[in-house]
Amino acid sequence: MKLFGRKEISTGEILAGGENAIANKEVEGLSQGQIVRRRFFHHRAAVIALVSFASIILFVMTSLDSKMGPIRIPGWWQWTVEDIPELRYEDCPGGTTGCPTISLDPTSDAFGLGTHPFGQDDIGRDYFALVMNGARRSLMIMFVIGAVAGFIGVVVGSISGFYGKKVDAVLMRLVDFIQTVPTIIIAAVIGKAAGKVGPLYLALFLGILGWTGLARLVRAQFLSLREMEFVDAARVAGASNLRITFKHILPNAVGQIIVVITLIMAGAILTETALSYLGFGVVAPDVSLGLLISQYESSFTTRPWLFWWPGFFIISIALCVNFIGDGLRDAFDPRQRRRITKKDREQAKLQVKAGE
Amino acid sequence: MTEKNVLQISNFNVDFWVDGVWYPAVIDMNLGLAAGKVTAIVGESGSGKSTTALGLMSLLASNARMAGSVVVKGEEMLNAKSAVLREFRGKEVAYIFQEPMTALNPLFTIGYQIVETLRNHFDMGPKEAHARALELITMVDIPDPELSILKYPHQLSGGQRQRAMIAQALACDPALLVADEPTTALDVTVQAEILDLMRGLKDKLNSAILLITHDMGVVADMADEILVMKDGITVEKGTADQIFNKPQHPYTQQLLGAVPMLGSTKKRALPYKEDAKPAPVLKLTDVTIEYPKRGRQPAFTAVKNFNLEIYPGEIVGLVGESGSGKTTVGRASIGLLPIKEGSLEIVGKDISHATQKELFAIRRHTGIVFQDPASSLNPRLPIGESIGEPLFLAGLAKGAELAHKVEELLDQVELPRSYRNRYPHELSGGQRQRVGIARALALTPDLLIADEPTSALDVSVQARFLDLLQELQVKLNFACLFISHDLAVVDILCHRIAVMQNGLLVEVGDRDQILKNPKNDYTKRLISAVPVPDPAEQRIRREARLALKK
Amino acid sequence: MLNYILRRIGVSVMILFGSSFLVYNLAAYASDPLAELRLSTDDGARQQIISLTRSLNLDTPPPLRYFLWLKGVLGIFVGKLNMGVTREGSTVQEEHAYAIPVTVRLVFAATVTALLFGLALGIISALRQYSRFDYGMTFLAFLLYSLPIFWVAVLLKEFMAIQFNNFLSEPNIPIRWMIIFSIFTGIFWSSLFGGERKRFWSVFGGAFATSYVTLWAIDLTDWYLNPGLGPILIAFLSVGIAFGVTAISTGLSNASAKKAALTMAGLAIAWYYPAQWIFNNFGSYFTIFILISMIVLTGLGLSRVYSKIDRRPIARTAIITGILSGFLILVDRIMQSWDDYRATDAVNGRPVPTYGQRKDQLVTEDFWLNNLDIIMHLILPTLALILISLASWIRFTRGALLEVLNQDYIRTARAKGLNERVVVTRHAFRNMMLPLSSLFVGEFVGLVGGAVITERVFGWQGMGTLGIKAINSYDLNLLMGVNLLLSILVISGNLIADLVYSALDPRIRLGK
Repeated sequence: MKLFGRKEISTGEILAGGENAIANKEVEGLSQGQIVRRRFFHHRAAVIALVSFASIILFVMTSLDSKMGPIRIPGWWQWTVEDIPELRYEDCPGGTTGCPTISLDPTSDAFGLGTHPFGQDDIGRDYFALVMNGARRSLMIMFVIGAVAGFIGVVVGSISGFYGKKVDAVLMRLVDFIQTVPTIIIAAVIGKAAGKVGPLYLALFLGILGWTGLARLVRAQFLSLREMEFVDAARVAGASNLRITFKHILPNAVGQIIVVITLIMAGAILTETALSYLGFGVVAPDVSLGLLISQYESSFTTRPWLFWWPGFFIISIALCVNFIGDGLRDAFDPRQRRRITKKDREQAKLQVKAGE
Repeated sequence: MTEKNVLQISNFNVDFWVDGVWYPAVIDMNLGLAAGKVTAIVGESGSGKSTTALGLMSLLASNARMAGSVVVKGEEMLNAKSAVLREFRGKEVAYIFQEPMTALNPLFTIGYQIVETLRNHFDMGPKEAHARALELITMVDIPDPELSILKYPHQLSGGQRQRAMIAQALACDPALLVADEPTTALDVTVQAEILDLMRGLKDKLNSAILLITHDMGVVADMADEILVMKDGITVEKGTADQIFNKPQHPYTQQLLGAVPMLGSTKKRALPYKEDAKPAPVLKLTDVTIEYPKRGRQPAFTAVKNFNLEIYPGEIVGLVGESGSGKTTVGRASIGLLPIKEGSLEIVGKDISHATQKELFAIRRHTGIVFQDPASSLNPRLPIGESIGEPLFLAGLAKGAELAHKVEELLDQVELPRSYRNRYPHELSGGQRQRVGIARALALTPDLLIADEPTSALDVSVQARFLDLLQELQVKLNFACLFISHDLAVVDILCHRIAVMQNGLLVEVGDRDQILKNPKNDYTKRLISAVPVPDPAEQRIRREARLALKK
Repeated sequence: MLNYILRRIGVSVMILFGSSFLVYNLAAYASDPLAELRLSTDDGARQQIISLTRSLNLDTPPPLRYFLWLKGVLGIFVGKLNMGVTREGSTVQEEHAYAIPVTVRLVFAATVTALLFGLALGIISALRQYSRFDYGMTFLAFLLYSLPIFWVAVLLKEFMAIQFNNFLSEPNIPIRWMIIFSIFTGIFWSSLFGGERKRFWSVFGGAFATSYVTLWAIDLTDWYLNPGLGPILIAFLSVGIAFGVTAISTGLSNASAKKAALTMAGLAIAWYYPAQWIFNNFGSYFTIFILISMIVLTGLGLSRVYSKIDRRPIARTAIITGILSGFLILVDRIMQSWDDYRATDAVNGRPVPTYGQRKDQLVTEDFWLNNLDIIMHLILPTLALILISLASWIRFTRGALLEVLNQDYIRTARAKGLNERVVVTRHAFRNMMLPLSSLFVGEFVGLVGGAVITERVFGWQGMGTLGIKAINSYDLNLLMGVNLLLSILVISGNLIADLVYSALDPRIRLGK
């Protein structure tokens, strides 16, 4: 029988290959990478998350001035973090100052973004600029942590899983050791010291603390892939250990690795903001979303905008990364069965009725 | 098809709903089964036989649709209310699954799982149920019933687990037993015992058995009536005698033709003279192979004092059951496992103490074909790259020249050249195994090691594969160590046979000598346990085997 | 087995040495406790520098100082524990004596509750895979995963405490809140039970109506000023519990279990008034313990009465029913103290607290008032922690159960004729618990970290606060104390999880 005009497929093949036989027919001639990409784009939430994430990054990074060495790229936002414009007090509820100028009421003449759509802080600095700055810090830290933890985790896990025995035992003890130390304490201690030096060092240290879960996963992957027959075949053909690792094992493990790295990144932003909240992460005069929240938590009742906006960005970023990770996980999972949704089942029932 | 049939299937249809389309899995099946009789449904993978079995018990996935009629002991079971179904399942109709390790819950003792079945259907107290469970365990010949009833599935051997499964199935004295490939996962000697057990129980309890299998030997041993299925359609139906001796449908004929039968091949000469043997391609002298101590587990000696020589141009079959050490020997012979004692020479060079470089050079004379088509090819690489890797790494070809050689190799294994760019998941199991051969022969080796290459293949696919292997062997004249548990396949292919048991070489000799005149007791037992696809012949063999046991 | 435990403890001790050494040196080199003082021009500064150097041994280089500290810690084996002196001069032990129970209480309550709810929601989600409920739960889990705990805590503080207290001073539920709340309730229940259109809307309608009427009744009677369940409601709920527990535990077809559960419910109802008298005159933890024991014994007795052969399931059903009904009565009693609680000076009409573990000004002998106070203070921080942990449990449970349900032995169980309830509760459940125990440790550790933040938001003087204080004031001894205790907590958690796993899985017998 024909399937969407493509190659013929017999029921036998379906039953033999399971429902994936159909999926396999559809992906004839496609490499694994292309298959994964296709499956990912079927996952609506993940795609939305990806687009949102990309938009947020673009939005945040370009809003303020960026300095890369001698080159200075201006942002499109009018205020910077250092500006201290006049503190606005008119039209602010309850006698507060610095309330947001954003208005969504089409009838009022204040409709639009206004000069300070996110409001102003205690001394009048534009809150939008502050939030953007904090978001940039958090994004930067998140990517650094992902890269550092990713690198260390993959290296340690591969060595451990590939060579086994003594090396494995030693490295796993190390992993146990690091997992036992209450990371929040070490992070706080280091954060306190490193915070003065700069957020980059904080990110590096957090990365050094956060690779253990990934190492375990990579190790498990290596242990199972090492036993695969194609690895033996490669060895018999004369492949060196390096070639086996990079050409045969890692490409097959890369899916899980990427998924875990996205999860690490989602956790990273939450950890960094939590540390900043406690005062051990990014410290004043630098800006962090967590720091903003801790500075203004007591004024929540009177000036809620100081509280909502940083939180919104943290949550959005973490949510997007989480959904992307979930989408990647589904895309890489070879055993993923096509979802038989309720719609399918109901349609099936209708078919039966129609056939009778 | 009388009223008194225990099972009556009429116009049975099963369809699966996938991605908006209904795919038929079973088409218009009709079957009648009386008490005390065995009906076998045979077919290759994808024929719909398991679907039939699961379907009649309504155990299929939620996207299945069933139509027709399935009457068990007078009651309609198809699309019946769940209360009715539950009444029948386990009590009137019992199912024996293929893989007892995964089919039994690992967290409960086998005694508990049997008691559970009993107490679910009968109003029994715990003590009474326990006593009955003990009875059942004794009935299926599990050793030490008192102790075994308290054991967990992982503490039993494969054969014992299947016996426990059978005990659980028989707990409520069902009128119908559905056995889905019950012995496929077992060693051949264990399989013979389980089949004896099932036959004995059938006679004693007068239950009807619906046997699902792809193994024609098992069918010849057990079945009274046979249904042959292909792609969901029943192509032929008849008594065992009719099907085996006078098959009508071309598919049945082709299927029977493809089944290797023990003792059916002609005499075959060794490709060399006995008294003027050339230098051996592979020589194992007093080899001991040990798996090293791992954590708390002690070292395990897999192979002991093994001696074997393989001469150019001959195919030697290495047979044994699981745990015999044959795969270990195969892997060591290609340098994938270190040997602890003894010497291993390939084309005259001892690799037991070779350096990496030396090993690399020696390996060019060898090739290996693996068992599992699913894991023998890197799913990330196109076929062409996998085939060409040995050539590339040996520095013999690059770029366009490499592509050309790969195409030649594909021609040799009768695969289209365009497959060079395809990925493993696009190929069937048989095609992947051919790719395996192409890769193994890339360096035109002197020695090919084939580690159970057809175990995962359907019978007809296996037949074509073996034909190909034979042709290539004759053409390229390589020596081959063919490892298998299937004596019938070894019979077709090999010049000589070596038999292993528990790490030791038990007997080695000419093919005909081993198969017709085995000297060793174990060899005799092994050969007698292999079922042949001919009911009359099988009956004679069975009686001989049982006589041997006494 | 004992061998294994001893070996594990041995390894853990080594790890403790190593990690504490590392932390000690790291912290010592990263900070200078005297930095501020050195810069100060205050007269007393020099004096302080000298005295601190003496009391904290600041002359000795950190690696050696570590061993001094270690000696003090090991003194516990001879009964003389000395964990050093804090900057202010108090001993580290003193500080911790107050702090430890605080944190433990918080983390324990949160872990257990998050586990129970997460498990329940995850199981339902898996059983109703791809339903609206499932997608809803998945989205909820993702949302919760992505919430920063400090943000949530502050939000809770604002809405559940401050706003709620404001609300209580002028209790009047506006109609639009009642409608919105009822809509949400309706959606929840209908996605849980509803199938096709008709059933979906009828469940929705029912839930909406019930919720609306309840809210309206609450508003009318000002129930939140004087809450309590009352004997009638308790009677009604107990009977419901009896049916519910029986349905899950043995199935409603089991008449003996049903009778036993209903009897137990009846007893609970009968005991309502006597219980009030007992509570009022003998209120204490000991009384509660006695009452629980009595319930257990009654349950065992009922199983003997109602069943000859198969006592265990009957007893189990009766006991669970009894404990749940008893719990209702207990909650009712605590609720009865609400009015008194609000009226006390310390509370002064704002009963939901935002700070501290208890009202220190509240001096009372009344067991119930005391406990209400503790509970009120416990609610919000625990809620904050639960929300964060819940997500992991839901996702993990769902995944684990789905994987188990795909296994062959589940199909075997169905082929044996077992009904779906038994298949899930007996076969699937136990197999699902195995991987869950490995998650437990990770979650527990995570909660400990989260507790640090929650303590700061809600002003609890627990180990987290101590730790923060230690880091901020460069107080090494205090920090080491916190670190040591947290490490021990984590390691014990690890060990317990492994033991539980090995107890559940007969394939793993430790020590082999």
